[in-house]
Amino acid sequence: MIGTRHNIYTLQTLFIASLFAVFFTSCSKTPIRETTIDPPPDTTVTPITYKNGIFVVNEGNFNWGNASVSFIDYNTNNVIQDIFKKSNQRGLGDVAQCMIRFKDYGLIVVNNSNRIEVVTLKDFKSFTSISGFYSPRYLEIIDSTKAYVTSLKKNIAVIDLATFTITKEIPTSTWTEVLTKFDQYMFVTSIGNFNESNAKRKAQVFIIDTKNDVIVDSMMTGKEPLGIVMDKKQKIWILCTGGYDFYESPSLIRLDPILRIVEKVFTFPNDGNLPNKLCINATRDTIYFIKDGVYQMPVTASDLPSQPFIPSNGRLLYGLSIHPINGSIYVSDVLDYIQDGTIYQYNSSTGTLLNTYKVGRIPSSFCFTN
Amino acid sequence: MFFVNFSGKSIAQNTKDTLHLPEFEIKSNYIFDNQGFKRVKLDSITLIPHLSSDLSTILSEYSTVFIKSYGNGTLATPSFRGTTAQHTQVEWNGINLNSPMLGQIDLSLVPVSQFDGIEILYGAAGLSRTSGAFGGVINLVTNPDWNNIADVIVAQTIGSFDNYTTNVNAAIGTRSFQSHTKFNYSSGLNDFPYYNDYLGEYVNQQNASFKIYGISQEFFWKLKDKHLFNAKIWYSHSKRNLPPTTSNFDTSNLEKELDKALRAVIEYKYVKSDLNLMIHSALSDQFMNYQNSLINANHQSYTWINRLRFSYNGIRNLSLQPGIDFNYDWVYSDSYTGMKSRSTLSLFAEINYEFNPKIKGSLVIRDDVVDGRFMPVIPAIGFEYKPFNKVNLVVTANTARNYRYPTLNELYWEIYGNPDLSPETNYIIELGSTYNYPSRNKKLFLEATFSGYYSWILDMIIWTPVEGSSSLWKPENVRQVNARGFEIGTNINWHIIGFDLGFKANYTFCHSTNEKAQIPNDNTVGKQIIYVPVNNLNSTVSLERWKFYFKYNFLFVGKRFTSTDNSYYMPAYSLSNIIFGKNFALDNFVLSLQVQINNLFNIDYQSVASRPMPGINYAFTLKFSFKKGIN
Repeated sequence: MIGTRHNIYTLQTLFIASLFAVFFTSCSKTPIRETTIDPPPDTTVTPITYKNGIFVVNEGNFNWGNASVSFIDYNTNNVIQDIFKKSNQRGLGDVAQCMIRFKDYGLIVVNNSNRIEVVTLKDFKSFTSISGFYSPRYLEIIDSTKAYVTSLKKNIAVIDLATFTITKEIPTSTWTEVLTKFDQYMFVTSIGNFNESNAKRKAQVFIIDTKNDVIVDSMMTGKEPLGIVMDKKQKIWILCTGGYDFYESPSLIRLDPILRIVEKVFTFPNDGNLPNKLCINATRDTIYFIKDGVYQMPVTASDLPSQPFIPSNGRLLYGLSIHPINGSIYVSDVLDYIQDGTIYQYNSSTGTLLNTYKVGRIPSSFCFTN
Repeated sequence: MFFVNFSGKSIAQNTKDTLHLPEFEIKSNYIFDNQGFKRVKLDSITLIPHLSSDLSTILSEYSTVFIKSYGNGTLATPSFRGTTAQHTQVEWNGINLNSPMLGQIDLSLVPVSQFDGIEILYGAAGLSRTSGAFGGVINLVTNPDWNNIADVIVAQTIGSFDNYTTNVNAAIGTRSFQSHTKFNYSSGLNDFPYYNDYLGEYVNQQNASFKIYGISQEFFWKLKDKHLFNAKIWYSHSKRNLPPTTSNFDTSNLEKELDKALRAVIEYKYVKSDLNLMIHSALSDQFMNYQNSLINANHQSYTWINRLRFSYNGIRNLSLQPGIDFNYDWVYSDSYTGMKSRSTLSLFAEINYEFNPKIKGSLVIRDDVVDGRFMPVIPAIGFEYKPFNKVNLVVTANTARNYRYPTLNELYWEIYGNPDLSPETNYIIELGSTYNYPSRNKKLFLEATFSGYYSWILDMIIWTPVEGSSSLWKPENVRQVNARGFEIGTNINWHIIGFDLGFKANYTFCHSTNEKAQIPNDNTVGKQIIYVPVNNLNSTVSLERWKFYFKYNFLFVGKRFTSTDNSYYMPAYSLSNIIFGKNFALDNFVLSLQVQINNLFNIDYQSVASRPMPGINYAFTLKFSFKKGIN
């Protein structure tokens, strides 16, 4: 009995002592912020230049503020993580959508931070940032003076590339998504109103005259036109998911931008597998998209491919891009979305795996230095 | 009513000094009275200086329940023993406060002033209330003091960042009838300054203002000490702007939320020496509206709760407690197609048997019939062993199987819901001990508790991307989690040379890991679940003399991982809060002045990534109370 009491006293003394230990060791003034277990890189070495390689845009988790850009160096195949933070001592923001090269600058659309970060490419230092969007989505450069930015809520922003400011808005009441330029016209897909179901949404492609920034025409598409590319024969391909709610069968549309007619509609089976991330190679003769794997389709094909070129094998394939020079297929696996993702590089003729790279959270798009 | 010990026995308290702890009244906080199951009480005395706080503050400062807070005055969810907020049921007088849609509750909407005490039922102990609470049940109780004639409190708190709270509580009654009326109103701009890393400058938090009010009325009747009736109604209303994350600091995406809840319960108890009967029926009506620049959605849910319990101790060494519960949930939501409902009929029995004066055992059997379908039987078994006659040491053990049924959102959310979900299964084993020592002269009271557990959650429901689609997510029964850990608690009270000294502390160790690979090359197996700290500690030192009181509260929150492969984390932090005040008493009147300093060392921290928290802040309370009892 006495022993028990003694033990309890000893235990409590120990407990109180450890309390004080915790107190004095944890009274630090370092701000408590999300940290990675990877040791921070040695910043005393000569500044890294991002010359030959791939900028991988890691979308990050919605509202977690963990978007980032990873750089894959062609020469060494090394990956440098979160290069924006390394150069600017702050995070890139919330939900990075895409990155476009313009002269010596990189323009990164950060959707939920509602801005575009402009960085100098060689050192990724922040040059300026553009704000005033309505949830920006994608950016397309028209010429050396201006670019268009689509948005989730409304309006297409016109950016002056000399001053990096919004000079004008092209009014739309709908969610505009991807865009491609043909002649003096910009073809911009529109999903419809964000807060409506696909039954009510009007899916279409707007045709905008880039000379005066006016919508001059529109054409109906399938629901959720999330992808657009232009092939070597100057035909525009639009990939429609059919709706996140499986409203209709997904489709791939080929349209003639001169006559403004739909030439052909390829319809996918409505099997719950939504196609996405339409890409085209540099020679513009083969298109790619993700479904239950990466699909490859010559622009001359008369039917949709029946088998994936690269099967997903249980991976969550999310971002896709084709290397502009060697034609390699870069596809990202986001794993469970709550850890850093992986990039797989495949040979586009044999489908053999060439390389894998560990990048940041939810890798979704790519920007090649050349 | 703030003078009532919530075991139900009234105490003849020093009516003039609200914080005085009469040493002969100190009761154990750690109880194993459920014959082997763990129960912890937080009494009304602990709550007194926190009258203007919300439940999340109390739980994080005084219990082992981990609170995940998204910021001052915004969403705060409880979890314990490595489980989730959906495995934690919060009850107010037997009414489940968790939303039937979400299966969880926002603790920032529950003001401390609306209840008198907290009872925490750990793990399998919760099975006497409900199924599915793998972590446990937090029960908020209000109880009458039959010796009360009048007890009125009027308090005003003025805090930093234009935060104001008004409380008016009035309890009046006789030996057989008591009426409690409680009113709380809080408003705040909540525009605390913080360093925004993304913008690289100090900014004031924006869009964080709130207005919350609540009113409750309770009646208690007692007839011949045999028949107890009570009727309670509580309405609460909250209008909040939801602050942005640090990197979404753009005024174009302002969010706001309106919550309205009405809870009403009537209860009858028949109390005889060997036979008790309890019947209660309650209705909970919850409305929520969420708005941002694109969405405006309404969610209306109702729950009808009925509980019938018997208790019979007429047979030697044996007590039998059978019961029936019937709950019916129905929901009208902009996110559901049509009205969705669920009925749950539960058959319940608890058998306690005293093998000898040292060993007691209990068996709990519960079977739920959900929408007419019989679910597997839920058994729980517990033992209690008291090895010494003169030492207050109790050793306990229990084991149980438990199920959690999917929430209505998991089943019916338009397009995303999965009506084919199965219940989650939990197996738990637990060992515990509690010891207390009241000194012979009653000047010192020491208490210590320890419990260790191992818990397996199978078929856990998580939202998973549907194969082949990057935009469609559905809840699936795919995860397996093992949670194991231990909890240590201590409570010391010492009355010495006129001083009342107190020390309370809780430490928890919890290793809660993912056990099943879901993707190829899965790096997450064996890794800690995100936002569950392995180490967590809170402690309070209190001092009282000459009607002056002082409390120092210290919190340590260990590292919380933010990626499933455990390569990112939020670093550990510790916070210190102090409260001091003085009570000026004159006859039946007490005037209290109190100062509260939160985050004393001005720690720049985030509890959840990208969600800023305030630095040092203050609250000043002026409280006037009047109390008259039957002597």
